[in-house]
Amino acid sequence: MSILANKDTYVVIQGGVAGVNAARRMAEFCYLIKRSLNVLAFVYPPDAGKTHEIPYGSGLVTVPIYKTVAEATKHHSQINTSLVYIGADRALKGGMEALDDSHIKVVSMITEGVPEKDAKILGRHATKLGKVFNGPSSIGIVSAGSCRLGVIGGAFDNLVLSKLYREGSFGVITKSGGLSNEIIWICSQFADGITTAIGIGGDAYPGTDYVSYLEMFENDPQTKAVIIVGEMGGDLEERAAEWYGAKKRRVKLMAVVSGFCQESLPKGMKFGHAGAKEGLKGEGSARAKSDALKNAGATVPATFGALGPAIKEAYQEMLKSGQVKEPVEPASLPKLPKSIEAAMKADEVMVAPLIRTTISDDRGDEPCYDGYPASELINKGYEIPHVVGLLWDKRLISKQEAEIIKRIMMLSADHGPCVSGALGTIIAACAGIGLSQSVAAGLIMIGPRFGGAVTDAGRFFKHAVDNKMTVDEFLVYMKKNHGPVPGIGHRVKSLRNPDKRVKELVGYVKSLNMKTPCLDFALEVEKITSVKKDNLILNVDGTMAAVLVDIGFPVDSLNGFFILSRTIGLIGHWVDQKRQDSRLIRLFDYLVNYAAPKRREVPPLK
Amino acid sequence: MAKVLEGPGMGLMKKWGITVPNYVVVTSVDELTKLGQANEWLKKSKLVVKAHEALGSRFKLGLVKVDLDFKAAEAAAKEMIGRQVGSITVSQVIVSEMIPHKEEYYCAVKSTREGTDILVANCGGIEVESNWERVKRLALEVGQQPSAEALEKVAKDAGFTGPLVKKMADFAGKMFACFDSEDAQYLEVNPVVLREQDSELIALDAVTLLDGDAKFRHPDWNFAFAAEFGRAYSKHEMEVMAVDSKIKGSVKFIEIPGGDTAMLPAGGGASVYYSDAVVARGGKLANYAEYSGDPPDWAVEVLTDKVCSLPGIKNIIVGGAIANFTDVVKTFGGIINGFRKAKSEGKLKGVKIWVRRGGPREKEGLDAMRALKDEGFDINVFDRNTPLTDIVDKALQKQ
Repeated sequence: MSILANKDTYVVIQGGVAGVNAARRMAEFCYLIKRSLNVLAFVYPPDAGKTHEIPYGSGLVTVPIYKTVAEATKHHSQINTSLVYIGADRALKGGMEALDDSHIKVVSMITEGVPEKDAKILGRHATKLGKVFNGPSSIGIVSAGSCRLGVIGGAFDNLVLSKLYREGSFGVITKSGGLSNEIIWICSQFADGITTAIGIGGDAYPGTDYVSYLEMFENDPQTKAVIIVGEMGGDLEERAAEWYGAKKRRVKLMAVVSGFCQESLPKGMKFGHAGAKEGLKGEGSARAKSDALKNAGATVPATFGALGPAIKEAYQEMLKSGQVKEPVEPASLPKLPKSIEAAMKADEVMVAPLIRTTISDDRGDEPCYDGYPASELINKGYEIPHVVGLLWDKRLISKQEAEIIKRIMMLSADHGPCVSGALGTIIAACAGIGLSQSVAAGLIMIGPRFGGAVTDAGRFFKHAVDNKMTVDEFLVYMKKNHGPVPGIGHRVKSLRNPDKRVKELVGYVKSLNMKTPCLDFALEVEKITSVKKDNLILNVDGTMAAVLVDIGFPVDSLNGFFILSRTIGLIGHWVDQKRQDSRLIRLFDYLVNYAAPKRREVPPLK
Repeated sequence: MAKVLEGPGMGLMKKWGITVPNYVVVTSVDELTKLGQANEWLKKSKLVVKAHEALGSRFKLGLVKVDLDFKAAEAAAKEMIGRQVGSITVSQVIVSEMIPHKEEYYCAVKSTREGTDILVANCGGIEVESNWERVKRLALEVGQQPSAEALEKVAKDAGFTGPLVKKMADFAGKMFACFDSEDAQYLEVNPVVLREQDSELIALDAVTLLDGDAKFRHPDWNFAFAAEFGRAYSKHEMEVMAVDSKIKGSVKFIEIPGGDTAMLPAGGGASVYYSDAVVARGGKLANYAEYSGDPPDWAVEVLTDKVCSLPGIKNIIVGGAIANFTDVVKTFGGIINGFRKAKSEGKLKGVKIWVRRGGPREKEGLDAMRALKDEGFDINVFDRNTPLTDIVDKALQKQ
C-alpha cells in the first residue's frame, strides 16, 4: 500500500507549461508501471477548449484543457487530485478552486514564492474540509509502483535505478525537493526502496506537516519506517518528535536535520529555504531539532552521509525479524522509447534521409553557402552575385563575373506596369491580396512568351557553339526541330529602335578581356535574322542567356536570373499599390471584344 | 522574509494609524537644512540622528546620536553620511524627534503556524528581554480578526490599568491591522512610549519584516529590502540577486569573509547539508551558494564567476543531490564556462574542485566536468554512487 497517491489517483493539472512538463514526467512513470496516464485534464483558461498531446511510450495521449476545475471534474468524475502549477500571484485562487471542488481530495501545490498568508489560508481551508493541501513549493508525491504526482523521481533512468516501479518499505517526508530523489535512491540502494515519498515544500508553513503524514504512514501496514529530511527553522521536526515520543509507534522513525553550520556563522546569517529560519531564542535550531528527535527515540545519524548505512541497518533488522521479505524484482521492465535523435546519437538506428542537399547547411550558428560561412563572405567583401554563384552553380565566381551578373540584374529588375508579370501583381494587389501571393501571381506569367526564354535561348546558342554550327546550319536546325529562335525578336524594339539594355550589356561585356563565344554567335544570328525582318533582333533574354552561358552558368539556372531580378520589380509594384491604397480594378467592357454567341433561350433539359 | 529599514517601516505603521515620531530620511546635510526651513518640529524638538543602514550595533559605532538641537543634528548628519563601516558606506541618516516620556511598553505581532500572535507587555526596552514572562499573548487563528474585548483582555492580563487598557488595546489592534494588511511576518515596537504632553502611545522604534513573496500585491512598497544579517549586501551578492530576480529557477550567493572552502552546490536543501558537512569537518565556509529549479546556464556561470572570485579559497565544492528536473549538462555547462573564464583571469591557482551530482543527463554532465582535467584544472568528479557529502570529507582530509 501507500499513502495519498495510489492506483486510484486521477489528476487534474492547473497551469500551463510547467504543468505540461510534469504531465510528461508522470506519463513516463505510468508507462514504466504499465498503467494508463493518470492525468485526465488540464485547467488553463487561456487555452480552454484545446488539448495537450502527452507522449506515452511511443504514442501520444490527448488530454483536454478546461477553463475551470469544476468543468474538468464534471467531464472526468474520476479526478480526485489536483496539482497546482499556477503563478504565485494567482495560486491562492487556484488552490481554493480545487479545494472547493467536491471531487478533489488532495491538492498539491508546486508553485514557489506563494505569500505565507495565502499558504496558511489554504492549509486552514483544507483542514476545515477534511482534505489534504500539500505544499506550496512541493516537488511532488510519488508512491512506488502506483502513482507519481509531479516531477519527483526525476528522469526515467532514475525511476528505474531507484526501483520506483515496485513498492519498498520506507516512507519519506522531505522539505527539500532536490533531496527527495537522493533519499529515494538511498532507500533503493541500502534497503528495498520506498512506499511513498512526499515533498512538503521548504516554506515556513507548509499546508500539511510531518505529523499528519506520520499518522498516515503509521496506518499504512506496508510502510515499516519513515525517514524525515528536515531543516532548521519552524517547529515541524519538534512536533514530529513529540508525536513519535507520545506513545509506542508501529513505524520506525529516522531523521536528518540540516543547519548545524549556522552555529559557526556570523550572527543573523541565515540561508537555505524560506522556512529555514531559526527562532528568536534558539528554538528551531538544527541542534534543538536533532536532540528532540533523538530524545523521542528516533534514529538520527550525525551526517547525511551516515543515513545510508543507518537505513541499511534498519532494513537488515526488518529482514531478520521477518517484518519484511527480500523484494522480487520483475524479470523485465518497459524501456522508454528513445527519440530518433537519441537513438541515432547512440548508433542504434540508421535512417534513410528523405532529401539530400549539396549547397547549404544552417545547423551551426550561421548558414554556410557551399561551405562558406555567410558572415565571412560578407566580411571579406563578397556580394549578392557571389551568393548566387555559390547557391546556383556551387562555385565562387570572380569579381568580373559578379559585376556582369549585377548589371544583368539591374537591367532586368523591372519593365514597367504593362508587362504580364507586373500587371498580374498589380491586379492581385488591387484585389487586396498579400505580398507573397501577389508576387507569385506575377511570377506565374514568366514562361515561353514572357521572360522565360532565357534558359531556352542559352540552351540553343550553347548547342550551336558546342557543335560548331554555322549560323545558317543553326537556323535550319531550329526551323526544322523547334521553330523560332528563343532570344531573338521583340514586340516593340527593332533595328531602328534598338533595345538600350542590350546595347549596354553587350558593350560592357565586349569591353572586358574575356572570351564570349556564345554572345558572338548570338550577334551573328541577329545579323542574319534582322535582315529578314526588322524586329528579329537579339533581345534582352537572348543577350543575358548568351553572356551567362559564356561565364559558365548551367543552362537550367538561366531563367532564374530573370525571376530573381524581376522579383525586385514585382515587390515594388505591390508595395506601390499598397501605399496608394489602390482599389479593386476590373476591365472596362470597351476593352473586351465580346465574341461570344448572342443571348438565346436555354432548351429544356433532356 | 524581507527586512525593512526604520524609515519605510515607520511609514507603513503611520499608514495604519499608529502614531510615530516625526522623522525625515536624508542623504545630505543640505537636504536636512532645507527640511529644517520647512518643518518647524525640526527646529523646536530635541532630535535623534541615526545612520539609516542595515547595520548592527549602531550605538557602539557612534552612528546613533541623541538629544540634539537642529545645529547639532546637522553636525551629526555631516559626520555620519559617507562614513565607511566595513563593506558599506553610510548614505542615509534618519532624523527623528525625541519623545519625552517616563513609561515604556512593548507590542509585537508575529506569524505562527496556526495564525497570528499579538504580544503585549507593560514594560519595554531592554527590560522586556529579561522579563519575558511579563509578555502576554493573544493567539488568533488564520483569518481571525481580534475583537476589542480580546485586545483589552490581553492588555489587562499584561498589567495595564485604567485608561491605558483601552489605549494599549487600540494600539495593538492597529499593529494587527498593519501586520495583516501589509503581509508582514513580524512587527515589533519596542518601546511603545506614553508621550508626556498628551498621554498618547507612540511607536518609538520598530522592527518590520515583510513577506517579500507578497510584493506583487503591494504596489506602494517603493523601498528596497535590507539585508537581514546586520550588514549591507556586497557588490557580488547584489549582482547575483539581480540575476536571480530575472530567471526561472534560482541562484543564491552570500559571502562569508575569512573562509577557505567555497560552495557551489545545487538545491536549497542539499546546499545546507553541504555547508553542515564543511563545518563538521572543521572547514571554514567562504560563502553560501545554491542554484536550483533548472536555471539557465548563463545564470549559473555568473554565480560560478562570483564563487571563483572569493579571496583565499582552497577548495570549491560543486555538490548536488540527484536532480528531479534540473538539467545536469546545461547547468554544468554554465559552471564549466565560469571555471574557464576564472582560469583565464589567473584565478583558481592551487584551488581544488570537487564535484558530485546526479539527475537528468548526469553521465554527459559529469564527463564534461572530468574533461576539465585535460585543461589543467585540479578537479575530482564523483557520481551518485558516492554519498552526497563525501566529497567534503575527501576535500578537507587532503588539506
